[in-house]
Amino acid sequence: MRLPGLLISSMRRNRAYPGEHAWKGWPYLLPAFLVYFVFTFLPILETIRTSLFDWDGISPTRQFVGLQNYTRLIADSQFLTAFFHNLVFIIFYCIIPILVGLLLASLLTRRKIKGFTFFRTVLFIPQVISMVVVGVVWRWIFNPTFGPLNVLLRAIGLQIWAKAWLGDFTWALPAVGSIGTWVQYGFCMILFLAGMQRISEEYYEASSLDGANAFQQFIHITIPGLRPEIGVALITTIIAALRVFDLVFTTTRGGPGDSTLVTGFLIYRSAFLQKDMGYASAIATILTVVILSISLLIRRFSSDSKGEPA
Amino acid sequence: MKSLKLTTILAIIAVLLIASCAKVATPTEPSGANTTEKTLVVWDQFYRPVESSVMDTLNREFEAAHPGVKIQREVKVLEDLELTLPLALTKADGPDVAQVNQGRNSMGALVQAGVLLPLDDYVAQYQWGNVFSTSVASRNSFSADGRVFGQGSLYGVSPTAEVVGVFYNKDIFKSNGWKVPATFEEFEALLKDIKAKGITPISFGSLDGWNAIHEFSSIQHLLVSQDYINNLTYGVNNVSFDTPENVQAAQILLDWSKAGYFTDGYPGIGYDDSNNLFKSGQGAMTITGSWLTAELLTGTDQQFGFFLMPPYSGKTAMSIGGVGIPFSIRKTSLEPELSAEYLNWMISPRAAELWAEAGMLPAMNLPADTKVDTKGLFGDTLNAWNTINKNNLVGHYIDWATPTFGDTLTAELQKLLGGITTPADFAAAVEKDYSAYLAEQSK
Repeated sequence: MRLPGLLISSMRRNRAYPGEHAWKGWPYLLPAFLVYFVFTFLPILETIRTSLFDWDGISPTRQFVGLQNYTRLIADSQFLTAFFHNLVFIIFYCIIPILVGLLLASLLTRRKIKGFTFFRTVLFIPQVISMVVVGVVWRWIFNPTFGPLNVLLRAIGLQIWAKAWLGDFTWALPAVGSIGTWVQYGFCMILFLAGMQRISEEYYEASSLDGANAFQQFIHITIPGLRPEIGVALITTIIAALRVFDLVFTTTRGGPGDSTLVTGFLIYRSAFLQKDMGYASAIATILTVVILSISLLIRRFSSDSKGEPA
Repeated sequence: MKSLKLTTILAIIAVLLIASCAKVATPTEPSGANTTEKTLVVWDQFYRPVESSVMDTLNREFEAAHPGVKIQREVKVLEDLELTLPLALTKADGPDVAQVNQGRNSMGALVQAGVLLPLDDYVAQYQWGNVFSTSVASRNSFSADGRVFGQGSLYGVSPTAEVVGVFYNKDIFKSNGWKVPATFEEFEALLKDIKAKGITPISFGSLDGWNAIHEFSSIQHLLVSQDYINNLTYGVNNVSFDTPENVQAAQILLDWSKAGYFTDGYPGIGYDDSNNLFKSGQGAMTITGSWLTAELLTGTDQQFGFFLMPPYSGKTAMSIGGVGIPFSIRKTSLEPELSAEYLNWMISPRAAELWAEAGMLPAMNLPADTKVDTKGLFGDTLNAWNTINKNNLVGHYIDWATPTFGDTLTAELQKLLGGITTPADFAAAVEKDYSAYLAEQSK
């Protein structure tokens, strides 16, 4: 999991040790920087360059078309639909998992629970399973004929709710999204559990002496105390929502119609199925810019301006 | 002093960067070119165990007939092959022979990039004209610039054939006294009868999407002319997709869905899952390609048969079909003669027999004295292929028509069946994709 830019601000503060020169540390970064440069930075530059060309990905020649791929993009209703679905995915990948993670974390820490480690581990399991496996398993769970979900609904007399979840124009997007929720909440929970252990017990003691109830403590002590963790959770889950590909690829391939089409899948389809490398690169470039700007925005709001991490 | 050190470090970084970039750019030298031992590198996508053993047998026999030749085989799943082949074909040590998928996106793009060898010389040398009809050969043909599909030079030879039709469960048919329908009218009446008995008439799942194109196009092939389907697929003579026939085919498909002829909840069922349901006896029929045959011959206690989608009474009709993924030769191969001989071996009578034994349709004629069992399900598909091949009734996979056609058709068919659009909207939406492509091509 990448935590972009989190270290930069703390590094800046440690700069001025007397008798040391700031640049002395840089050579130590060299090996990692080389790997980063060759395998991340160069490909990014190459993608931006490719986005200015019309290219099928094979031919030795490519035709320079300037910003044509980008003007095509703005007018492409499929891209706009796909991007809207990514925004919907933020609800399922980010907002619900953070709420569920907060709830579970506070349930697990505020009271001593027997088998704490067991619950923590079980609740975290979805996060460690490969996304392809998750996709295949949930495809079966949602199967209208033999899938456990519909079987259960029929067994308890709710057969009118049983439906072809992944093939339904209304329900496919929430169905795929809820798989995302299932995967992401464990990560948020673990993050918040770690954060809560850092909040001093004294605050809770003092507030309960002043008559605060559990809910008030949660709002006024736990949430502010978790600010940096919530920031990290927001950034990573929003990035996950915006670049989702594997889950859509293994469950619906964007269908039915375009109802679960996301930008990540659109990039794959344009580049490798339709051999339109320039257009795919343009989408990828826009997506990267959007992700970077959102990450920077969140970082600005979540990190304390005085650098005091609670 | 301080700044000097800094410059040194920067210089080292720069040198390392240049070195690492330069290494990426250097092409690799061809290996084993000068040794007496010849190695032929072959990439294929016959990964399923039965298919794979046919390839191994053919390779072993080829090596035995050519002392000193070693075949280095690499097997990939089709999707992997399509992702890795384009780059590999531009390398000096890439595969000499490889399976290249048909259509504009795959073979067309590779011809355009100039990495495939035109096979015209070998067509004459090995008299491949006697092995394939022109209709079959045109599926593997492109103009030299890769822009015109279905004409020009041959770029690949296909060992196997495919035909899309109707698989049916013989046990279910027998116990209900149903017969294989001879006309489309009988077929539709049969669907009604089966539904009335409480059995699923057609096992189907549209979650993966692509197979819905076969359901639609099977009906479409009954309604349109052969010229139309050729023009549409090869993108010539400016035909439109928005025709009364295509609207009618979409309407029939929609009617079937509304009448409940498909598996309950079919929009949420994948292709493999729907086939497994059919194989386990849930569903009287399923519409798909002959490639499912081998799957239906093992691991089930049900008996299956196959028939072509029957024509309207008093008419003849085409069926979707064609030849399997062809073998092509890399243009820069150092062994073009040996590669061509290998291609010729892949479409030999011996190869036909081995494919038939494995339950797959050979694109070539079987030897007259063949011992292959041509009864049962395999015999049904073989007869179906022979019927359309001999009578020149082999139709097309229409998703070849434009680079985006498969994706557009899939999405639009799902919308049609989901009740989002009407048959007229469907034809208009697909035509939009098609005419945009024609306009692009004529630039």
